[in-house]
Amino acid sequence: MKARMLATHVALPVLAIVAASAHARAADFDWMKFKGKTVTFLANNNPVSQALLTYKADFEKLTGMTLKVDGYQEQQMRQRLVTVMNANSDEVDVYMTLPSREGEQFAAAGWYADLTAMAKNDVAKDYESAGLSQALLKAATFGGKLTSMPMNLEGPIFYYRTDIFKKCGLDAPKTIKDVEAAAEKIKACDSSVTPFVSRGLKPAVAYTFSNMLHNIGGSYIANGKSNLCSAKGKEALDTYSRLLRDFGPPGVVNYSFQQISALYRGGRAAMAFESSNELRTVMEGGARLKDTGLLPFPAGEAGQVPTTIGWGMAVSSHSKQPDAAWYFVQWATSPEVQKKMALQGIAPPRPSVANDPEYRKWIDEEPVRKEWQAALDVLATKGSSEVGYPIVANPQSREFIGQAVQDLILKQKPIDQACADADKALDALIALN
Amino acid sequence: MSDTAAPLTQDRQKLEMAALSAPAVVFTVAMIAFPVAYTIWLGFQTFSQTGKQSFAGLANYSKLISDYEFWHGLWVTIALFVLSLVLQLIFGVWLALVLFHAKRLPGIVRSLFISPFMMPPVVAGMMWLVILDPSLGAANYILQSFGLPPSDWLASPSWVIPTVALIDSWQWTPYVALIVLGGLQSLPPSVYEAAQIDGASPFKTFQRITLPLLLPTIVTAAILRSVDLLRFFDIIYITTQGGPGNASNTLNIYGFRVGFEFFNIGYASALMLTLTAIVFGAVLAFNRLRGAVAW
Repeated sequence: MKARMLATHVALPVLAIVAASAHARAADFDWMKFKGKTVTFLANNNPVSQALLTYKADFEKLTGMTLKVDGYQEQQMRQRLVTVMNANSDEVDVYMTLPSREGEQFAAAGWYADLTAMAKNDVAKDYESAGLSQALLKAATFGGKLTSMPMNLEGPIFYYRTDIFKKCGLDAPKTIKDVEAAAEKIKACDSSVTPFVSRGLKPAVAYTFSNMLHNIGGSYIANGKSNLCSAKGKEALDTYSRLLRDFGPPGVVNYSFQQISALYRGGRAAMAFESSNELRTVMEGGARLKDTGLLPFPAGEAGQVPTTIGWGMAVSSHSKQPDAAWYFVQWATSPEVQKKMALQGIAPPRPSVANDPEYRKWIDEEPVRKEWQAALDVLATKGSSEVGYPIVANPQSREFIGQAVQDLILKQKPIDQACADADKALDALIALN
Repeated sequence: MSDTAAPLTQDRQKLEMAALSAPAVVFTVAMIAFPVAYTIWLGFQTFSQTGKQSFAGLANYSKLISDYEFWHGLWVTIALFVLSLVLQLIFGVWLALVLFHAKRLPGIVRSLFISPFMMPPVVAGMMWLVILDPSLGAANYILQSFGLPPSDWLASPSWVIPTVALIDSWQWTPYVALIVLGGLQSLPPSVYEAAQIDGASPFKTFQRITLPLLLPTIVTAAILRSVDLLRFFDIIYITTQGGPGNASNTLNIYGFRVGFEFFNIGYASALMLTLTAIVFGAVLAFNRLRGAVAW
């Protein structure tokens, strides 16, 4: 009763005042405020930035600013960023970041500008910060500071060939055990295709392996120690590596998204566990449009705990013009731009865009898009952003996960030794945290 | 009067020349000295996971001694260096001899022979990555069409070093051949005429005359290739990123990852300075060898 009274007499008026002042601020918002300035954007040359930069001219027309794009492949982009940030240089105003990977590290190094106040106070009327995925905003918040705004939503999903499944008398897999049974059957039924493919390249493994680990019920850390040698950890390592060793393509230890998409798109793989972002690449040419089914990765003993991450846009803490930089971030993550990007196959981090009639019409045009969106809905509601160890040295932790998986794929170590070696190295990293 | 004026003019000329070249000298020294001095300074620093920096003395160098990855990287670097250098010198000399003796070879064919080293290493790496893909690549298709078993090439821990050495040799053998060809063209014809009069066979001529006379040129080519081979990076970075596992993790790749991916700039600097010392050591050794074989 007291609580209700408090809400009626105190909270509601306060909220009304905050809303009114925010509305007033939004009414004052002027996209042309920084006309004539140049904002430098360090971009990862991936489908997300490619879709965004299609509309670069729109941003420049709207704001009167010049957008200078510095685009690289992912690893080279990070290399450039590390150099720029270590030199305390203001060369970069805005950069793309993966909070699930480097968020802790960059936040601890002080490389992110705090966007909390800007996202609240300096926004256009139709921006709707609250309309962005709360889970992704939370994943980008470190020590109470909002460090980046989500650009997309993505995670590994399960691509499978419906025609091959039909030919081999298989149903869509519901569990990880079904995947292995299907791989076994496809190997006998159609020797011309690789039954299963996923990431085997050492630094890339954690992205897909984490989904397997979480579905099986494992965890990376327990009681402050690395947990790969737990029963569930070993089961996940064993299952993942066995699937790739026994049913994957030769040379799978060098496979990341490029090779997986090429293999599947070329009709040489029956099942692929790869990023939702790869839909556009996989469907290029249209050969796989009518014979592909999509699912979140099938359940393990702990059900479905998909990996869900998103690229974010961060403002550099060394930028001399963070306010102008924020205008670019705001434009790029606005409902209008994210809708345009969604129509190019970039999964929107805004539920309102995902439910937009125009976007829904695009989704309904092809059954495979419907399944893609259905899988993304599961990712958005059930996803975990834990890819690798939730520690500052997350990028390095991925190396040791990948090493353990490769040791097993290549049969270089028995599982007890592979996981023990990984745990030993990972415990040392955890201790540094 | 003229006796005193002449030295004054000479001194003035020297002074003027020094003043004119000083900016270039200062610029060049700064461009070389500053990065080296900065790297030496970084090698004495330690960086925490969050980028916090503090003085570490010789800790980074003592860490090298107990770091398995360092010793493994050193082994991989030396293995790749030796294998690639031997292949490139043998085939480079052979290719030079072919180009030297095949006088009627059309220019376009000669250009094709030497074209690989004009290709950027990144392009060469990408091209070979596709050719050697165990599932989709042309290499296994060709092997299998001759009834030979397929190979995992870059994905096999035991084959990755020979495969990378082959890719590098494909690209740089023509470079060695060009250097050796220059040496061949400068050999004195009178020695060959004398050998011909004495009835020496072509093999004996090559063994007793050509090869000894070419040795200084071959050593020069070896020095030039050694510097690159000990700093092996681009092709490995494109094709394997040091894998599978750490089977192709050279010191250069390891140092890059420690610095740019794991943020330990201090330790990465210590690694790179150690590699620089190894490169200098190799160059000095080859220089001595060149002195010994000079004629």
